[in-house]
Amino acid sequence: MTKLAELYSYREMIYSLVRRDLRGRYKGSVLGFLWTFLNPLLQLVVYTMVFSMIMRNNIEKYYLFLFVALVPWGLMNSAMVNGSTCIVGAPDMVKKIYFPREVLPLSNTLSNFVNMFLCFLVVFAVLILTGFGLNFQALLYMPVVMVTEFIMALGIALLTSAVTVYMRDVAYILSIVAMAWQFLTPILYSSDMVPVELLPIFRMNPMTPVIEAYREILYYKAVPDLTTLISAAIFGIIVLAVGELVFSKLQKGFCEEL
Amino acid sequence: MDNCYAIEVKNISKHFKIYADKSTTAKEKILFRKRNRYEKKQVLNDISFTIRKGESVGLIGHNGCGKSTTLKILTRIMYPDSGTVTIHGRVSSLLELGAGFHPDMTGVENIYINASIFGLGKKEIDSKLKDIIEFAELGEYINNPVRTYSSGMYMRLAFAVAINVNADILLIDEVLAVGDVNFQAKCINKLMEMKRTGITIVLVSHSTDQIEAICDRSIWIHDGKIQADGPCRDTHRLYLRYMGEKRADSKGDEEKSEVQENQTVPDDQATVSIQTEGEKAVQKILQDRGDDVRYKDRMRGNGDAKILYINSYDSEGNIRNVFESGESVTFRIKYKLYKKTSEAFLGLCIFRNDGFRCYGTNTKIDNLKMELTEENGEFSIEFPNMELLQGKYYVDVCIASREDDMLDYLDGVNAFEIYNTTGEIGLCRIPYSWDIEHAR
Repeated sequence: MTKLAELYSYREMIYSLVRRDLRGRYKGSVLGFLWTFLNPLLQLVVYTMVFSMIMRNNIEKYYLFLFVALVPWGLMNSAMVNGSTCIVGAPDMVKKIYFPREVLPLSNTLSNFVNMFLCFLVVFAVLILTGFGLNFQALLYMPVVMVTEFIMALGIALLTSAVTVYMRDVAYILSIVAMAWQFLTPILYSSDMVPVELLPIFRMNPMTPVIEAYREILYYKAVPDLTTLISAAIFGIIVLAVGELVFSKLQKGFCEEL
Repeated sequence: MDNCYAIEVKNISKHFKIYADKSTTAKEKILFRKRNRYEKKQVLNDISFTIRKGESVGLIGHNGCGKSTTLKILTRIMYPDSGTVTIHGRVSSLLELGAGFHPDMTGVENIYINASIFGLGKKEIDSKLKDIIEFAELGEYINNPVRTYSSGMYMRLAFAVAINVNADILLIDEVLAVGDVNFQAKCINKLMEMKRTGITIVLVSHSTDQIEAICDRSIWIHDGKIQADGPCRDTHRLYLRYMGEKRADSKGDEEKSEVQENQTVPDDQATVSIQTEGEKAVQKILQDRGDDVRYKDRMRGNGDAKILYINSYDSEGNIRNVFESGESVTFRIKYKLYKKTSEAFLGLCIFRNDGFRCYGTNTKIDNLKMELTEENGEFSIEFPNMELLQGKYYVDVCIASREDDMLDYLDGVNAFEIYNTTGEIGLCRIPYSWDIEHAR
């Protein structure tokens, strides 16, 4: 609780770090901030071309099926890949100034979160412009799902950033782990395609209910299952708790290890 | 009431692992297990102290004594192995200036970022902005990107932010060497002002002057332990004395090893029984004097006598090279006689290290008649109150015959240091008295 109060008093720092990160991301490029929108849009164009012309399958509008899951996966992916280096990447600050160390993974995850939100704007625009449409009642559940995923991503970022300080390899292993995890999550396929005997293991994946909820809302235009939402929330809290526990244990040695 | 303390440190210890060759990757950690051997270095060893609210305290000590580690533990950047630190109040630390500065952003934008790292909210920064800009003396440059700043401007901005953070406790680690002399004076004045408003200040430095300028109390940390804790004057006297002795020791060691390497020791020196480090050191000087061409020109004296060594002693008879102003200093000079002299004079002169002759006297001036008959002799001269002020000094000694024939003359030996804690300046203390009865 005191941790939360302390983090709240450092909100200005979190805010300015997020702002610096977002502004600095495409710094020096001609189109600048526009890339935030162009990037997902161009990705979508590629998927559309590949999956409706070359690799056709029997899922209707597969490129949308894929895309509404891929955008939220992006947050988890960057929480692992970018998030893991957020402490190692700021040695001067960590070694010289006191601030709650959680600020770094938190602001990193927040800026990834904002980025995901901006991508969703592109998704919404595409869904409306292509005539696919949106269910506004289902859309009311979006924030809940997004917050749940944010909590989970924060937990992962806390965990990976702290461990990376002690073992720099983790940062490289993580990109492979992220890829494997992506394939084990129903992003490219739907959960119906998973063999029944593997389903219990499949349900252990905390990202499964999250991705399913997104797809429910945006692709099937339906209100997500309550059990899906609850299991996602439980997973989120567990991941965050583990992340914070490990982080608070390991952070005491940050100064010496860097 | 424990609330009157700003900082309470109880029995903290801290060690570092010093890896000979540190492996940070998993492969190295597994493959080269042997390389993970490390030395345990105890940096802090059971340190306890308390600092009252509003007190300003200096931490002093030589490099690597653990004073910066102590500060880092107070800042909560590091955590002690054991012991507790309790802090009442908001802490601002000036360990690193300009943390989080982004070169492409303007001065104002960076003020917001930097101040936010110290835990300030937007409103607080808004209200401080004017003070910060004013203090940094940047004028219209404040709206330029920081990358266009000179290093002085950069540091001024950084210091201005750090010092304007509303803190109850200010921890400073040797960052006062910022900017030009004017700005430094301004920083000290600002710190004094903050001190008056009741802010607790902890300053780490190895400059006794800097600590004395700001603090009332000083803690000397030596090899992870508190060596002395008290008013600046008392602590610093002990510290300076220790440092002076250490310097003399290391000098002695260096020269000793050089002597040992030298195989051809002249006869007359081989016969002298070596008693102390200091004597060995001077023998080295003597030897140089005979062998070195540079000294040949400066050798004065016909060689009928040779001064073997000279040492300085305190009132208790210990060899010392650092004295406090006003202390008793005795020089003891040992010589060897090659030819008996019916009447001789002894002289001694003190020079400051810039070559200024401070004081010289001899037995002729004082009408002391001497007959040198013994082959090995010793004489001494005591200055019961050495009133020279802070500085480094050298001594010349000579033995002369009645006819002013120099038997031996040794110049620039026995360097000694004087320190004073009173703040008087100049060459030496001149007795005086004030009369301020009618000053009004």
